[in-house]
Amino acid sequence: MNGNEQPRDSSAETAPRAANGPLRTLIATAAMALFFMAIGAQLVRLALMGLGDGSISLNEAVAQSFARPDIVDRNGRLLATDVEAYSLFADPARVIDRDEVVEKLAVVFPDLDRAALRRDLSDRNRRFVWVRRLLSPRTAQQVHELGLPGLDFRRELRRAYPGGKLAGHLLGHVNIDNKGVAGIERYVDEVVGVESVQGATLAERPPVRLSIDIGVQHAVEAELADAVQRFEAQGAAAIVLDVGTGEVMASASLPTVDPGQPSTSLGNLDKVAGSTFELGSVFKTLTIAMALDSGLATPETVLDVRKELTAGRFTIKDLHPLRRPLSVAEVFLHSSNVGSAMLATQAGAQRFQDFLRQMQLLGPMRTEAGPIAPPQLPQRWGDVETMTTAYGHGIALAPLQFAAAAASVVNGGHKVTPTFVKRPEDSGIAEIPVLSANTSATMRTLMRRNVAERAGTGKRAEVAGYEVGGKTGTAEMPGVGGYREKAVISSFLSAFPMSKPRYLVFVLLFEPKGTTESGGEVLASRNAAPTAGRLISRIGPLLGLLPTQAAIPGAPGLAFDASSAAKYETR
Amino acid sequence: MRIVILAALLMTLASAFVLYSSNYDTRQFELRVAEQERAIEKARGDIAVLKAERAHLARPDRIEPLARALGLGPASEKQLASSPDDALARLTPDATGSVQRKGN
Repeated sequence: MNGNEQPRDSSAETAPRAANGPLRTLIATAAMALFFMAIGAQLVRLALMGLGDGSISLNEAVAQSFARPDIVDRNGRLLATDVEAYSLFADPARVIDRDEVVEKLAVVFPDLDRAALRRDLSDRNRRFVWVRRLLSPRTAQQVHELGLPGLDFRRELRRAYPGGKLAGHLLGHVNIDNKGVAGIERYVDEVVGVESVQGATLAERPPVRLSIDIGVQHAVEAELADAVQRFEAQGAAAIVLDVGTGEVMASASLPTVDPGQPSTSLGNLDKVAGSTFELGSVFKTLTIAMALDSGLATPETVLDVRKELTAGRFTIKDLHPLRRPLSVAEVFLHSSNVGSAMLATQAGAQRFQDFLRQMQLLGPMRTEAGPIAPPQLPQRWGDVETMTTAYGHGIALAPLQFAAAAASVVNGGHKVTPTFVKRPEDSGIAEIPVLSANTSATMRTLMRRNVAERAGTGKRAEVAGYEVGGKTGTAEMPGVGGYREKAVISSFLSAFPMSKPRYLVFVLLFEPKGTTESGGEVLASRNAAPTAGRLISRIGPLLGLLPTQAAIPGAPGLAFDASSAAKYETR
Repeated sequence: MRIVILAALLMTLASAFVLYSSNYDTRQFELRVAEQERAIEKARGDIAVLKAERAHLARPDRIEPLARALGLGPASEKQLASSPDDALARLTPDATGSVQRKGN
């Protein structure tokens, strides 16, 4: 085989060499060209793609947080925003001297858990350990100056509340990853939406505009704090509600909470929407509205309230009996328990319940800040329950839910759904009637009389020029084994201006004491009513309502130029 | 033939140079883009902080004492006068037209 092929091979080698010369050159050239093209392509690729920015993406999954839109008040003033903060982490593999790191960090963070940190740093397999998150720039600088190897910072977003404790209950709070867990912050997560980000990328969503007004909110909180001090109360709450749209202009509950430092202490629960109370005589507003609306009575109908009512083991009596028959109007003005109980009995349990259901008081209700504490209703609704409910006992409601029902009584009789988010200017509000306009007008007159007349229980709430109208309520708080006589919730339900109500103000004081200021009494007429009066005189101008002299008898009927009311908007 | 090869060689050199320099430029631009993106991010962060600080300084519980110190207060019906003369008659050196806090 070999011998045979040898000559053929050698002859083929010499003869085609000259013939194949150009071919080989061509092949070599082509190979070279390909080679250069490959290099060129690689260069182009590198030029286009770059070399990558060299940053490591070691811990992306760990450092995830949420970018949240701002929360502003109805005039665009800031309530909550995201700012950048530094978070300190350690890379155990790069830490040289564990003890030095722990000791030096303990100087900056006195409350550092040294044992836990030492344990974390000992695990050389881990490349990422959070030491402390969301530091202030100054603390971050201090740590930086220690110059310890293996420590580094990540920028993260932190929620800031420039107003401090202002509207703390309403805003709720966020967790360490900037995720909303309560109140409006939770609503922002669930409804408005947040962006999941790594590092510190600020959200680009438009701000969430609440219905509350920072100025009004502050005035309410300041006046409540003042009232708590004056009347030595355990707490206080107030709501300012737009009776037309249901927008809550202010919602305050004392003691306040700081949204930046959430606590879960029970004493700090939101009293406006988070708890229910037996509200007492303010509830008579609804009982009498029901009696008038169902045509059972007119303000002039006379009831014999001289006898105490007995129902089961209860005796219903009046605090200051007048020992004469009273008209329905007088039942309201003198806050007669017997009279209201008689009216409710006359209507019957069924009709009374139907009315309360229509006023949205018997079912659960929710707002953007979460569900309102559901009403506590009597187990079985018999005659006794009908009577006690008539003057606000045996039924416990969240103040916000009651305020919404009371707003329908004064606003001409249409349904009010409370909201914490500003309604767009052009959105029409469907007017669903729940009461006749006549009943509403009569109730407005009664409420106004209760403040304007000398004998009225609400006379201390009068503010010149604002036509305030209202109803007091002093409810004994249930304690162990019955009601505690001196522990009361005194409240004042008011609206202004009464000729055409714009805003409802509901003030509650919890366990006020009889101080010299209130003449030694714990009655709402001596503490809650004057508080509401002071509140209205302060918030009226802020809400764009200026006092007039028209409502004052004998005055020349002057008014501020309404268009000059100061309104401002910030971006 | 030689001239073609020579030209090709020159072309290769020239294109390599062009490629390299444009590559270099691209990197420079990329650095600048990254730098500017960082600057934007930083500016946005600063804006957020300034906004928060401004809101903190304008918070009502800080403004209220300042306004009270200037003698400002809620509008009251007492500030209404029936005529310009009436208003002038009320003008006394210590009456600034503002009312003190009510209800104390």
